[in-house]
Amino acid sequence: MTESSTIPQAPPGPGSIRVRGLSKSFGTNQALCPMDLDIQGGGIVGLIGPNGSGKSTLMRSLIGLIRPDAGSVWIDGLELKGDGRNIRERLTYAPGEMGVYREMRGRDHLDWFLRGRDKATLARAQELATGFGLPLERRMGSYSHGMKRQLVFAAAMGPDVPVRILDEITEGLDPSRRTLVTESLRKDALTGTTILLSSHHFGEVDRVCDRILFMRQGQIIADTKASVIHDRAARLLRLTWNSEGPAQSVLDALPANSYDKARVDGTELVLELTQPDPRPTLALLEKLTDLPAPAQVQFGSSTLKAIYRDLYGVEGT
Amino acid sequence: MRRDLISYAIFSLFLFFMLEGLLYAAIHWWPAFTENMGALKLLAAPLPILGEQINLVDKLGAPAYVAGQHYFKACNILGSTAAVLFAANAIAGEAQRGTLEVWLARPVSRLRLYTERFVMGQLAVGIPVFLSSMTVPYLLETVGTSMHYTDLLRCSVYQAIFLGTLFSITFAFSALGQQPLKIAFIFLFLTIAEFAIYMVKTITHYSIFRWADIQTFAAIIGSNTMPMDRVAIMLAIQAAAFATGFAIFRRRNP
Repeated sequence: MTESSTIPQAPPGPGSIRVRGLSKSFGTNQALCPMDLDIQGGGIVGLIGPNGSGKSTLMRSLIGLIRPDAGSVWIDGLELKGDGRNIRERLTYAPGEMGVYREMRGRDHLDWFLRGRDKATLARAQELATGFGLPLERRMGSYSHGMKRQLVFAAAMGPDVPVRILDEITEGLDPSRRTLVTESLRKDALTGTTILLSSHHFGEVDRVCDRILFMRQGQIIADTKASVIHDRAARLLRLTWNSEGPAQSVLDALPANSYDKARVDGTELVLELTQPDPRPTLALLEKLTDLPAPAQVQFGSSTLKAIYRDLYGVEGT
Repeated sequence: MRRDLISYAIFSLFLFFMLEGLLYAAIHWWPAFTENMGALKLLAAPLPILGEQINLVDKLGAPAYVAGQHYFKACNILGSTAAVLFAANAIAGEAQRGTLEVWLARPVSRLRLYTERFVMGQLAVGIPVFLSSMTVPYLLETVGTSMHYTDLLRCSVYQAIFLGTLFSITFAFSALGQQPLKIAFIFLFLTIAEFAIYMVKTITHYSIFRWADIQTFAAIIGSNTMPMDRVAIMLAIQAAAFATGFAIFRRRNP
């Protein structure tokens, strides 16, 4: 089911992430189905999926926070062993949800986040946090949700490590801060850092990603370049009628070379066109005068739900 | 680490001042206690356990009085409360606050995190017992009596081991749980129940406080030695609780 033809297999090397047969269950819930994954060093990889799709479990398993039921993980060429401390020295991690010590000042909390790192790391993180305009002398209790997320981000970006794993890092940030975050990530990736970035919002982090992994029900259902997804999403033409029937009839009447993929779903016909311009296809539809005209025509698909449904034929949310 | 040190130091200092305050008041009441010994015996007559303790103080004097007031009463009640509260919050508190994931995600081994909290908690409970005990000779001098530092040191070691055992058991549960208040309530209830049991003649032998009562400390002072069989058992319980708690903690998901 995994679509991964565009991504080469990476040898475990500097900044690489390699996963073999990784699986995890919580009781009867299979959070991660046995999976293999190779990420080459350098660049930004997006891990996209709805809530509960297994993104956080995968990320936690990569750094030894969760013990998998089976499988192996290599980060930066080093195999995860024991409690994963050897791995965590080579990466930083920002969790999707977290609490803070409300009584601590921002500066002290940053220091706490960075325990086990060198002093230069703290200086870099403080510089980044100051750049965000965070009041480091104020107590964490007075920080807003967005400010806490920015502090976590600063802590994750401070260490000079080959890999960063960031779970929902832009969640809770306003658009201008998101831009700052994504710009920082892009700059960092250009220096050779590997960044694994998760989000449940397509169209948010994918703009900075070189590659995107789509997850659903503990599986990676698609593994492709961001540009490919954008290109495919931009060629989606969705036609909706008020009743069932016309959708299949229109599909039958259209020449097969006018689309790459097509799917009929009740009153809807979704076409992945061969070209980015929908006008030739729409002109063909106009000629089908014996069939009812669609009630709604939509071109392009940007929401995660739509991409899951239209590109992969599954309900993603 | 720094945050933990500050936090434990503050609570430890608070415990010390509480113990010292109680000790100061108790020792300054010693002359009045001796004067009213006869009346106190009559008052305690309906409570055989209490009566035994007053008789012991009457027989052995100030050292037994200090054992009763400082170790049996203040250290056992305040110390065990502190031990339970420190331990209950040690790991479950991180889970409840939502900081457990980041706490574990740093490049520090779980064994080190676990051991640091365990040791700091033990010290936070034990050090105030030692410090307050070391002021006893000075305070006793103010009421015209005395006591040897070595006796107090021995009693403090034993008391710290006793409280450390309560701490260790609660700590193991904290490694498993997510609700420090619930853990603290359960263990405080059990501790108070054990203390209540001590006072009931027919079931007093079921109380853990039989191992840290006036008779125990009086024996330590009188014999110049600690009951090593009890010490060994308590240290073994601590080791078992530490190992069990860590076995849970190392597999714990944030």
